[in-house]
Amino acid sequence: MAEITVERLTKRYGETLAVDDLSFTVEAGRVTGFLGPNGSGKSTTLRALLGLIRPTSGRALVMGKPFHELRNPVRSVGASLDAADVHPGRSGRGHLRTLAAAAGLPNSRVDEVLDMTELTPARDRRVKGYSMGMRQRLALAAALLGDPKILMLDEPANGLDPQGMRWLRDILVALAAEGRAVLISSHVLSEVEQTVDSVVVIGAGRLVMQGTLAELIRGDRRPALVRSPQAEELRELLEGEGASVTVDGRPDAMLVHHASLEQIGTLAAAHGIPIFELTHEVSTLEDRFLELTGEGGNVR
Amino acid sequence: MNVLKSEWLKLVSVRTTWALLAAMILIEGLAAGLVTELGDIDDLRRRDISTLIIGTHLAIVFMFTLGALLSTNEFRHGTANSTFVVTPKRERVIAAKLAVGLVVGAVGALLYIAVNAGLGLSILSNRGVAVDAHDAVNGYVGVGVGLVLGCLFGVALGALLRNQILTIVVGMVIFLLAGTAALFIGNDVGKYFPGESLLALQATPGVEKTLLSQTNGGLLLGAYCVVLGIAGMIFTRQREIT
Repeated sequence: MAEITVERLTKRYGETLAVDDLSFTVEAGRVTGFLGPNGSGKSTTLRALLGLIRPTSGRALVMGKPFHELRNPVRSVGASLDAADVHPGRSGRGHLRTLAAAAGLPNSRVDEVLDMTELTPARDRRVKGYSMGMRQRLALAAALLGDPKILMLDEPANGLDPQGMRWLRDILVALAAEGRAVLISSHVLSEVEQTVDSVVVIGAGRLVMQGTLAELIRGDRRPALVRSPQAEELRELLEGEGASVTVDGRPDAMLVHHASLEQIGTLAAAHGIPIFELTHEVSTLEDRFLELTGEGGNVR
Repeated sequence: MNVLKSEWLKLVSVRTTWALLAAMILIEGLAAGLVTELGDIDDLRRRDISTLIIGTHLAIVFMFTLGALLSTNEFRHGTANSTFVVTPKRERVIAAKLAVGLVVGAVGALLYIAVNAGLGLSILSNRGVAVDAHDAVNGYVGVGVGLVLGCLFGVALGALLRNQILTIVVGMVIFLLAGTAALFIGNDVGKYFPGESLLALQATPGVEKTLLSQTNGGLLLGAYCVVLGIAGMIFTRQREIT
């Protein structure tokens, strides 16, 4: 059974359709990236999963149940919706103690999660003096309080420096390896592409794709940049295989559409054509992500 | 009990709570000291206990604000998200806030009475002004109950309105403009307003002609708190946390 199930979820605010017939699942033992541009419905979906808002139609289930029916929500789900959601006059430890008390957890657990998130030295400082990275760590500490089976984090990498990103990646991968389902949202694929195993991509509240990161890459339809001293010969071969080729401005370079990097390389090797460069024009997943989500065109 | 403990920790873990209590005690102490020390002897004798509880409305505002912060801080600082994820049965959270409001209101009331009576009555005694013991007990009981109910009123109204500034402004209008409602709509209706109920609760000699009795004023203000508290619980359960 999937740990998180979103089934034909629709959420409407007046005339605005925030989430539109969205369905996906999240499995245990994986880090799943919930990706989409700002305003695409990610936070609304997470709020529906956490029982903070009611779906207009459809279902948002955690461990097969609506959130409010969970017997022990803190042990089932740890969530962070916004790292800024802390009283600025309270210390980090004070904030966690209020949550631990409500959940019936001992103060020793607060100290454990402060250690896990490397916030112990700053635990007694008021949160208004925390950097964004420290607030993100505090939000994760709060989510980890109940040692939950499922983690839902909304934009956890937001505002982290490269060191913080690496730390976040390591801890999330380790948590998933312990068998937890980890769902992290982001509007920037590069923030999470080294962390996630699976992705759920949405745009304008609708599912664009769900699959593994490899599947996301395989669906890449961006042109390939090819450089070869026998560019003209390779061009004829590629066009013969159904690819379309445009020139790049340089005599030895061309852009190849409708052929994967593997197909181009294999074809060139079969005909003994040397290749100097074979890559996507801009080789990041970001372009694939933007291609899928409409490069911000779907943002409401 | 878990939610109650959590709400108590929320209250005592921010400096605003202590600052509001300290400011109330300081201002009320100063008011009681200055009025009794500098007041005209004949006037003090004539006004009896009402001289001492002259600043009660300001104290009520402090206690109301404290109660309002208990509820509205959740939405002002976004902690409602984590609060209601940890405790999905939201009405329990509001009930715990009301219970904490009751306790802190009682603490505030005891501090107020201790400072006001300790300072004011000793100065009056030194100046040879006798205060009727029955009136004094009545007045302080009324003020104490008023402070507790003022705090509860703040918690309940905050749960209902959510918006911190709106809640405090509405509270100011209700309690600071008490006594003016009757000028516009007449005593027959005006005496049932929350602010007027509070005035009745203080049992200032002479006001019983235009207001409810002290007991009825207290009961009515308590009823307002109960109704607002229940409405706050229902609204908090029904509304979406966005």
